[in-house]
Amino acid sequence: MIITLILLIASSILSIVFVYMAITERDLLKATAFSAGQSICYATILQAMGAADIAMTYVAVSAGLYSAILVFVISKTERFEEVGSE
Amino acid sequence: MKRVIVLVVLVLIAVVSSVITPLVISIEVPRCLRDLSRYYIINTIKDTASPEAVAAIVWDYRGLDTVYETLVLYLAIVGGLTIFMYTGELARETPVGLTLLSRTATKIITVLISTVSAAIAFHGHLTPGGGFPGGSALAVATMLIIPVFSINTLLEKGVTSTKLVAIRGVSLTGLGLVALLPVIRGLEIVTNQRFYPGYLDGFILSGSISLYNLLEFLAVASGFTAVALYLSIPEEYYKGGDNA
Repeated sequence: MIITLILLIASSILSIVFVYMAITERDLLKATAFSAGQSICYATILQAMGAADIAMTYVAVSAGLYSAILVFVISKTERFEEVGSE
Repeated sequence: MKRVIVLVVLVLIAVVSSVITPLVISIEVPRCLRDLSRYYIINTIKDTASPEAVAAIVWDYRGLDTVYETLVLYLAIVGGLTIFMYTGELARETPVGLTLLSRTATKIITVLISTVSAAIAFHGHLTPGGGFPGGSALAVATMLIIPVFSINTLLEKGVTSTKLVAIRGVSLTGLGLVALLPVIRGLEIVTNQRFYPGYLDGFILSGSISLYNLLEFLAVASGFTAVALYLSIPEEYYKGGDNA
């Protein structure tokens, strides 16, 4: 029980770090990697809560397919976000 | 530097709130099951011959919902394929991949991903998993091959979009037939145990659940791989430039 709670809290906080890094990153490929890291954190949360089916689908779609399609899209545009476009 | 400060503040807020929350509100863990979950846990193995309650709910109790969900995904991918439709011939260049190191690593990882995806899909009626996660995992393997070995390697091996769309069409037709077949004997659509055998020579088949998982696995894997193949065609081909 206590291990589950610690796992939940650690993954949630780590996911905040990943999300912040993904939003502020100017290199879009790195941002995609951070986004995949956030997905892994969420999958860990789902697994800790006992939803193994959802965790499996989440990893395959969110960390795998979503990142792969984003990389394809980035390859069709520029890799770096323009400075001063905020 | 500003980035690090904001990050530290964010993490501090998260840590403090996660410490304070249990002190302010009491988190109650439910001690007993609700009636609905008790029904599924007790009756799933009897009703559907599947020890996995989630697969049983998805493909048996709520089977019609899932069939329609598959139809939605089918239409979505058909739409995507229509936009990226390319009928011309791709120039057969010599495959230019990444370095030897990444190619060797990808070879090992691809075999591992394919094995795991098959295990997820074919044990979908026994353990957590099923057709959709398994198919997505297999599609990830091919999406890894395309950037590392280049798209021409896949095309030379005979993995073309036309074939993939054909596999997808056949498996989705099969899925529809599995759902429709019980109607012949006067049963309602998406019937499982009264039409399909639950056990075969000691093996747990769970009736139609394993069939649905197999067909969905093929449909999802080939559909997503076809989308990836179309996405990796350079834009010059669509514009009809000199390279086309």
